[in-house]
Amino acid sequence: MRRSILFIAALFAFAKVTAQGIYDVSKIPANLTHNASVIIRNEELIYEVKDQGTAVQTYKTAMTILNKNGESSSRMSEYYDKFSSISNLKASLYDEKGNKIKDYKNADFKDKSAVSDGTLYQDDRIKYLDFLHTSFPYTIEFSYTVDYNGILNYPTWYPASTWDIAIEKSNYTFKIPETITFKYMKSKGLNTDSLKVKDKINYKWNCENIPAAEFEAMSIGLRNIMPWVNVAPNEFEFDHSKANIENWKNLGSWIFNLSNGGQVLPEVAKAKIQSLVKDAKTPKEKIKILYNYLQSNTRYVGVQLGIGGFKPITAERVSAVNYSDCKGLSNYMKALLQEAGIKSNLVVIGNGLPSLNKNYASMNQANHMILCVPLEKDTTWLECTSPYTPAGFIGNDNSNRTVLLVTEEGGKLVQTPTYTPSSNLQHRNAKVMLDEEGSANINIETQYKNAQYEDHIGLLLMEPTDRRKRVMNTLSIPNVQIATLNITQPDKDSPILHEQIELKSSQLLTKGGDKLFLTLNLLNRQENTITALEARKTFFSIKYGYKDEDEIIYTIPKGYKVEFMPKDIAIESEFGKYTAKVVAKDNTLVYTRTHMMVNAIYPPEKYNDLVAFYKKIYQADKQKGILAKID
Amino acid sequence: MNKRTALMLCLLVIGTFSFAQEKPTKPKTFKYGKISLEEFDTKVSGVDSAASAIALFDVGKGYFELSPKTGDFVYVFERHTRYKIINKTGYDYANLELQFYKQNTDETKLDYMEAATYNLEGGKIVPSKLSKDAKFSEKQDKNYTLKKFALPNVKEGSIVEYKYRISSDFIFTLRSWYFQRAIPTLYSEYDITIPEYYKYKVNAAGYVYLNPTRDITNQSFFINGQAINLQSVHLHYQAENIPGLKQENYITTMEDYVSKVGFELSSITIPGQVYREFTSSWPKIVKGLKDEENFGSFINKRGHSKTILKDILKGETKPDTVMQLIFDYVKNNIKWNDDYNMYTSETNPKTIFEKKTGNTADINLCLLNLLTEANITASPVLLSTRGNGAHPGMPMLTEFNNVIIQAEIGDKMILLDATDKDHTTDLIAYNNLNHQGLKVNLKDENATWISTEENRLSKRNINLMLTLSKENKLSGKLYLASTHYEALNRRDKYRSATNETDFLKSYKTDKPGLGIQNYKVQDLDNLNAPLIETMDVMLEDNVEEAGNLAYFTPLLFERTKENPFKLEERKFPVDFAFPTEENYRITVDFPKGYQLDKTPKNEKIIVPNDVASFTFIFAAEENKIMITSKISIKKATFSPEEYYDLKELFKNIVRKQAEQIVFKKS
Repeated sequence: MRRSILFIAALFAFAKVTAQGIYDVSKIPANLTHNASVIIRNEELIYEVKDQGTAVQTYKTAMTILNKNGESSSRMSEYYDKFSSISNLKASLYDEKGNKIKDYKNADFKDKSAVSDGTLYQDDRIKYLDFLHTSFPYTIEFSYTVDYNGILNYPTWYPASTWDIAIEKSNYTFKIPETITFKYMKSKGLNTDSLKVKDKINYKWNCENIPAAEFEAMSIGLRNIMPWVNVAPNEFEFDHSKANIENWKNLGSWIFNLSNGGQVLPEVAKAKIQSLVKDAKTPKEKIKILYNYLQSNTRYVGVQLGIGGFKPITAERVSAVNYSDCKGLSNYMKALLQEAGIKSNLVVIGNGLPSLNKNYASMNQANHMILCVPLEKDTTWLECTSPYTPAGFIGNDNSNRTVLLVTEEGGKLVQTPTYTPSSNLQHRNAKVMLDEEGSANINIETQYKNAQYEDHIGLLLMEPTDRRKRVMNTLSIPNVQIATLNITQPDKDSPILHEQIELKSSQLLTKGGDKLFLTLNLLNRQENTITALEARKTFFSIKYGYKDEDEIIYTIPKGYKVEFMPKDIAIESEFGKYTAKVVAKDNTLVYTRTHMMVNAIYPPEKYNDLVAFYKKIYQADKQKGILAKID
Repeated sequence: MNKRTALMLCLLVIGTFSFAQEKPTKPKTFKYGKISLEEFDTKVSGVDSAASAIALFDVGKGYFELSPKTGDFVYVFERHTRYKIINKTGYDYANLELQFYKQNTDETKLDYMEAATYNLEGGKIVPSKLSKDAKFSEKQDKNYTLKKFALPNVKEGSIVEYKYRISSDFIFTLRSWYFQRAIPTLYSEYDITIPEYYKYKVNAAGYVYLNPTRDITNQSFFINGQAINLQSVHLHYQAENIPGLKQENYITTMEDYVSKVGFELSSITIPGQVYREFTSSWPKIVKGLKDEENFGSFINKRGHSKTILKDILKGETKPDTVMQLIFDYVKNNIKWNDDYNMYTSETNPKTIFEKKTGNTADINLCLLNLLTEANITASPVLLSTRGNGAHPGMPMLTEFNNVIIQAEIGDKMILLDATDKDHTTDLIAYNNLNHQGLKVNLKDENATWISTEENRLSKRNINLMLTLSKENKLSGKLYLASTHYEALNRRDKYRSATNETDFLKSYKTDKPGLGIQNYKVQDLDNLNAPLIETMDVMLEDNVEEAGNLAYFTPLLFERTKENPFKLEERKFPVDFAFPTEENYRITVDFPKGYQLDKTPKNEKIIVPNDVASFTFIFAAEENKIMITSKISIKKATFSPEEYYDLKELFKNIVRKQAEQIVFKKS
């Protein structure tokens, strides 16, 4: 007996020593600390599906925070709602040597509501804990369990989804009854282990010793260099609703059934619609009238509760209060059109997100709903939450992506319209009258179309004082006084803004001895370059395709002549096109510049070509002409 | 009186002039649900002519009631307000959010809420009531609940109306009444009746004249069928045609300029009960703080300090070394949790030292605790941060939100703020640079205002020694030295980067053409010394060619490209927080065969009273030019009148720094 006590004591002593040492920062391999702010020491995610509607997740992680830049990761946070609950919360803090400094108590974890921006109400909440320590590095460790009673999706494993995070060890175990099918996608080269345990199959993915990725500008993400797994159900139960989402067709059917029947309008509203469209000749005209009616009579108010996150509020209810979220307003518009005899379909879309993955139907790829009105020759798309934009204009974040059309026959993947770079146009004509003191009277007229219209629509809605402030602060002209400023949208039905500015600059030309220097590109300079990378790893994107056209006519001040003008420039690459030239005629200089950028995703090795392209534009944009006194 | 308060007062007078009103008319009365047709035609002219909505009226009433439940007085707040919505941006006024607080059994609660939208349809007014399912209650955390309301059938031209009543067990501070908001307000009135038992300090602020009146009125309160007759103070404020408040840059917070009135309890006199004074004078406030478990008694619990002091001091006895050691210890051992507070979150310093994290009071009062234990004379200094706005000056405790420490070493007074590792003695957090603080003497139970103004210039010296090659490349050495707040910023940037490469990358982002080698940083951890950075630099794309000319702007990346003061006029003071000096010096050796064309003139521009200046000096030798450019902003705040001088100064800086140095190539 005596001996075994000793033995146990020794074992404890041993356990203590190792426990202290586990998180010793000096034990981290040097290749991991290089470029890293955070090291995932040991992360373990276990998700066990019980049946279609219930599951348990246990999560445990330890992270070393190396420096101040990593402090934002020094946090535990987990969302929950009516359909999930968090328990077994534990957290500890360790110093550089791996000695435990403290254990956190239950009272240290905070709980608050998690209502997202622009939403009036939703029932999500968050439990969180901020770990703070005065000196770096330190290690945090925490674990918890989440019970799900209602499932939409299975957890994604993506341990290093942002820059500066290295992984020492991380793994994901996904347990599911053999009888339940599911689907998954994973990063290239990642192995999947599966093992049958009783009536369940345990899938396991793990990774070790992965160095941090260094920040790369314009990146579309780290998915091509870091391990990840997406897992999704084929069938689920959530808030008393059963769904089959094996494919997009079925997912579409589920959404269709949730919304079906919700397009009944009260009699008064029906009469109103009939009177509105009675003189309209074409379906197109009717769509316009009803869309304008929607815009001037409703507003966006987001409320997301349980299944209400997917099921639109009925048209009847919307017509009683005249507000709703994207689903409610799209469905209401559908009801209005239906009353006017026009068929339309709800559309599930990822606003600002990538296209839906054709071969992988899941609930976490979309965040928005719009409406599609298929006409024989000309399909119209309607963004029903925008109170301002013309009918048919859905904006850059909705355009050019694969979306799900919700039809009676189920979901259909379709493509939204594309706004080409040259249609996202900014066209500008400016006249600049220079005088010998270097000051100038300037008149600028600009047109903004499509995506550029969208960028500037805020100006149209601003109060004049604020608008002046904004324009003044964005003009790159020194010492400005604005005389007049007008912004109008001449045609309510087309996405074009017209801006007219008259201003005075008391110091436009810069002196250099007895010469005057004129930066020819007065209004639209690319003021900066991007830095070349030796070995870029991630794909990058030019998110936004556009075309700018500028023409500036300068009147040369009396008593001066042109001493030097730069040569014409034309630069072309797969990223875009640029030209700039200046022509002297009588006492004027006519400067013209065109710049087009093509939106696309490019492979990492092309990045330095883009750097070179931008650099040439940067150099071209700062070219100066020189004026000299006529002797 | 502090300089800043004087400034505010003077502004207030000006404000009264510019918005001077006719003799106040009698208070107007408005009936809920009674909308006149004319109200739909309401328009505003002048600066607010394009407002997104108009507050037609906003009427508030505050009074006290006896709670039948507790027998205590509760504060009741009634509000009745009506907006005309002009355009879709004004739809925000059709959603209402109210926050409620609860602590133990005390709470603030909504007694009722009536609200409706009115639309004009075919010449008739059609009301739509707020429906039940448009009310939401969001439990934000254990103390706060947000109640939200969304009005139905809102469109351009709608009128929306709210009437509600809130009663509160919390009577120390009463809800502030705002006469002003982003949109114009045609009529705003606040009426409050306070039973003689309670005395409140009133804090009225802003530019709008509020026509205050005060009289005494008799009130009867009933409890258990018995009447208590009291005399009450009746205060009334009223203003009409109040312009919308517009945001400006370089300010502390808009809260400093909005027209409002606030109330803080100063004493309670209930017959048969002990007279209780809260904050009627600074000595009383200090007495209260002294007994407060999260302030005075926290400072006095020195058991833990006693045990750790020996290890911190290691036998040191020289007062300034002792102070420094303690300051460093607190900075390095308690991490700030980003929370500003004048009260500690725990009642014993030991708990804070064990937790190793805390709010500003936790940290600075632990510092005070240790200093006191080490026999260094030190006092807490209460502050209102820049974000919290200027303290009104009168004895109002709740207007403070932070605390720092002032220590006395011999005849030297030193400010200490241990919330950031990079702080030094006499360097407090930027947000604390709000010009004054109240030094609290807990022993003698009094307090004095002291200046927390930063008078030292925070300097940035930029020194470049470059050689120009015939290929128009500049190369040589760059030397940077920063002091005080400039150094604090630099140190923070350096430490926030993943590593040095990352730091240099972000330094280079807005400096196209710059290449850096052999970067060295000196005195990163020697906080009392300026932060020195040296590096070898190579610059492309900065010297340009035009025919036989080569030219460049000598300020390179440090050129002030735009005037930060673009707007024609300014209503509020410009507040830089601290005085600065930027000293730029460059020498360039240029190649043989280059000849200087005409050279820039020297210039010196001084703002009246020498409160700011700009100097530009050019010198040339054989194959070398030297340029010095110096911008000094010698004080932290500038009045709206001085704004024009500042604007003119920066206009000249932009012009002069844009001038080119031109070489002729032979």
